[in-house]
Amino acid sequence: MIQVTDLQKAYNGVTVLNIPELIIQQGESFGLVGNNGAGKTTFFRLILDLIEATSGEVKIDNQKVERNDAWKTLTGSFLDEGFLIDFLTTEEYFSFVGKLYQKSEGDIAVFLDSMKDFFNDEILGSKKLIRDFSKGNQKKIGIAAALIGDPKILILDEPFTALDPSSQIRLKRFLTDLQNQFNMTMLISSHDLNHVTEVCKRIVVLEKGKIVKDLNTNSDTLKELEAYFAV
Amino acid sequence: MLILNLVKQEWKKSIRAQGFYKNLAVSIMLGFFALYMAVVLLFLGFSLNEILEKADNKLNPMELFNGAMLYLMLFGLAIRFLMQQLNTFNLPPYQVLPIKRSLLVNFLMLKPLTSPVNYFLLLVVIPFSIKSVVGYYGVSVAIRFVISFVFLIWFDSLMASFLKRKFGSGLLTGLIIILALAGIVALEYFKLFSLFHYSGILYNFIVLNPFGLILPLILVGLVFVLNKWFFSQNYYPENFNSKIKGDKTVATDLSFLNRFGVIGEIIGLELKLILRHKRTKSILYMSGFFLLYGLMFYTRKEYANSNGLLFFVAMFMTGLLMLMFGQWIISWDSSHFDSLMTKNIPVRTYLNANYYLLIAFNVICFVLTTPYFLFGMKIVYMHLAAFIFNMGVNIYLLLFFATYNTRKLDLSKSSAMNYQGTTYKNFLIVLPLMFLPMIIVGVLSSLASMNIALWTLTILGLLGILFRKQLITLCVNQFNRRKYLMAEGFREGE
Repeated sequence: MIQVTDLQKAYNGVTVLNIPELIIQQGESFGLVGNNGAGKTTFFRLILDLIEATSGEVKIDNQKVERNDAWKTLTGSFLDEGFLIDFLTTEEYFSFVGKLYQKSEGDIAVFLDSMKDFFNDEILGSKKLIRDFSKGNQKKIGIAAALIGDPKILILDEPFTALDPSSQIRLKRFLTDLQNQFNMTMLISSHDLNHVTEVCKRIVVLEKGKIVKDLNTNSDTLKELEAYFAV
Repeated sequence: MLILNLVKQEWKKSIRAQGFYKNLAVSIMLGFFALYMAVVLLFLGFSLNEILEKADNKLNPMELFNGAMLYLMLFGLAIRFLMQQLNTFNLPPYQVLPIKRSLLVNFLMLKPLTSPVNYFLLLVVIPFSIKSVVGYYGVSVAIRFVISFVFLIWFDSLMASFLKRKFGSGLLTGLIIILALAGIVALEYFKLFSLFHYSGILYNFIVLNPFGLILPLILVGLVFVLNKWFFSQNYYPENFNSKIKGDKTVATDLSFLNRFGVIGEIIGLELKLILRHKRTKSILYMSGFFLLYGLMFYTRKEYANSNGLLFFVAMFMTGLLMLMFGQWIISWDSSHFDSLMTKNIPVRTYLNANYYLLIAFNVICFVLTTPYFLFGMKIVYMHLAAFIFNMGVNIYLLLFFATYNTRKLDLSKSSAMNYQGTTYKNFLIVLPLMFLPMIIVGVLSSLASMNIALWTLTILGLLGILFRKQLITLCVNQFNRRKYLMAEGFREGE
């Protein structure tokens, strides 16, 4: 599904990401962990063609993402608030994004209904603009918008931070459901080792732009990761 | 000294704002502009006496000026209301410190009064009072004249911030103000009610009576108290500092755009963007004023033969919204650029949407300026040529060069003197757009004829419209080339 070859990104001669090869299969849940500055967000931005690779390439569905529009129909993503349109109300935003993926008003209503649990009655039905929502609720809005177009690939950057405990649990359950029901490919980065090992079947550790561990999740993975990050 | 510390910190805030140094070129240009304005105003101040003496009226210059005082006050108030940025001194970090609240409130209220922009008109008033008032009435009246004007400025500034805090600066309030002003001017024009007359009586009293100044002073005191009262009513900054939270969104029904598919959706998005941000809204107001630009030129005989200049005016007005907003196109999406780039919007669709938006702007401006057709057939031809040239040439130039704007634009701040996100590139883009056609017309109309000049531009414009597809492709390629630089710049923030 996603194929990375010789991918490098350097700023002013300093290499911040260097991945010789990485393949993410369809339906795989891919967790990315690493300390600040390890290159997680850079990697996601390269996949989403928001920054230009210094060398190498990323392919989605056998098509290069670089300066291409085709992958946009396949992916749903939420990295930060820049992925929201903050002067819209939530309904306007969902309707806007839905229309981009050829959804009718009816489809969108059905989708939002399925999100009811996750939204916990705080998101819809008020005339509030997105910029006036709290960080946690903005995150929920962003994640929901990433899902509205039935993506094959979901890319989330630290989805658990800023969420309240109930929402974190709901989100975990929700992501697992999506994997089981739709065989959705997921790329999730997180600082929370507990959450990410629960949700993802494969964990990759980045350090200073390089892959240092590539694990299939089992009962020992959490311990191994904790040992790795312990100082 | 606490107050001195506050002043110092505010100053540091502006000095340390990122982008202060980066924007040197723009600052220098603005500096020149300010200097130019100052010189013009000074010149006006020194010659105002002669101008007013020549006016066909029994009144002497100062009496005439006094007649205009209430107008100056009302217009000053309106302009401040629409353009002046509320002083959003960042209270919360200071609130938790042991500083008396009244001190903070006073600082918040009085700080705008120290802004030199407020006192620009004194450059007219002081020379005028030296040259004219001293001669007619003597030194003490001249001094009172100047002081009364300073009071007027204070009154306006304090009143505008009060009104703005109290009523907000919605589109509706702005419209009401503009209509009210137009009403007063109309009453004067049709001789139904003369504000001029009463203004003269009032200000002659204020200036000539030794104790007259007490009256405006009392008024200034009253607005001051009014402001104080407002702050005592709204103790917490959340009540006045940021936008009022909650159900405030204007329902914007743009559903008619639905039938245009994704392009319609994006256009709807950009329209909401314009209506929901301070900065874009104030550009909209300003455009309203600029549509009257033609009255200054088309009515004067001395301009009748300067074809280049007239064409410049025609182009400026028929392309007004496009030129005002066009220089921000793409970069006004900076805060949600990542969103647009990762959602299912092909680059061509995105640019097409922006293209049609600009087309719509052009059509609107063209229609709004049709009343100028009353000034003769020449104006009709000029407007038509300008309209077609804007649609066929300038529009692509804007789309193409917009990709060089890589600075994040903060739309939540108003307004008039807000050059955040402006770089020398903005000037580089707009200047040729405006002046090249002016030069072409100027040269061709003097070498050949005005007809040939206008036809040349029309044909260029028609060619542009004809080759729309190819030209947009050029813009798409350019966009793809510059995309990463833009995304990066937009993420960086100011």
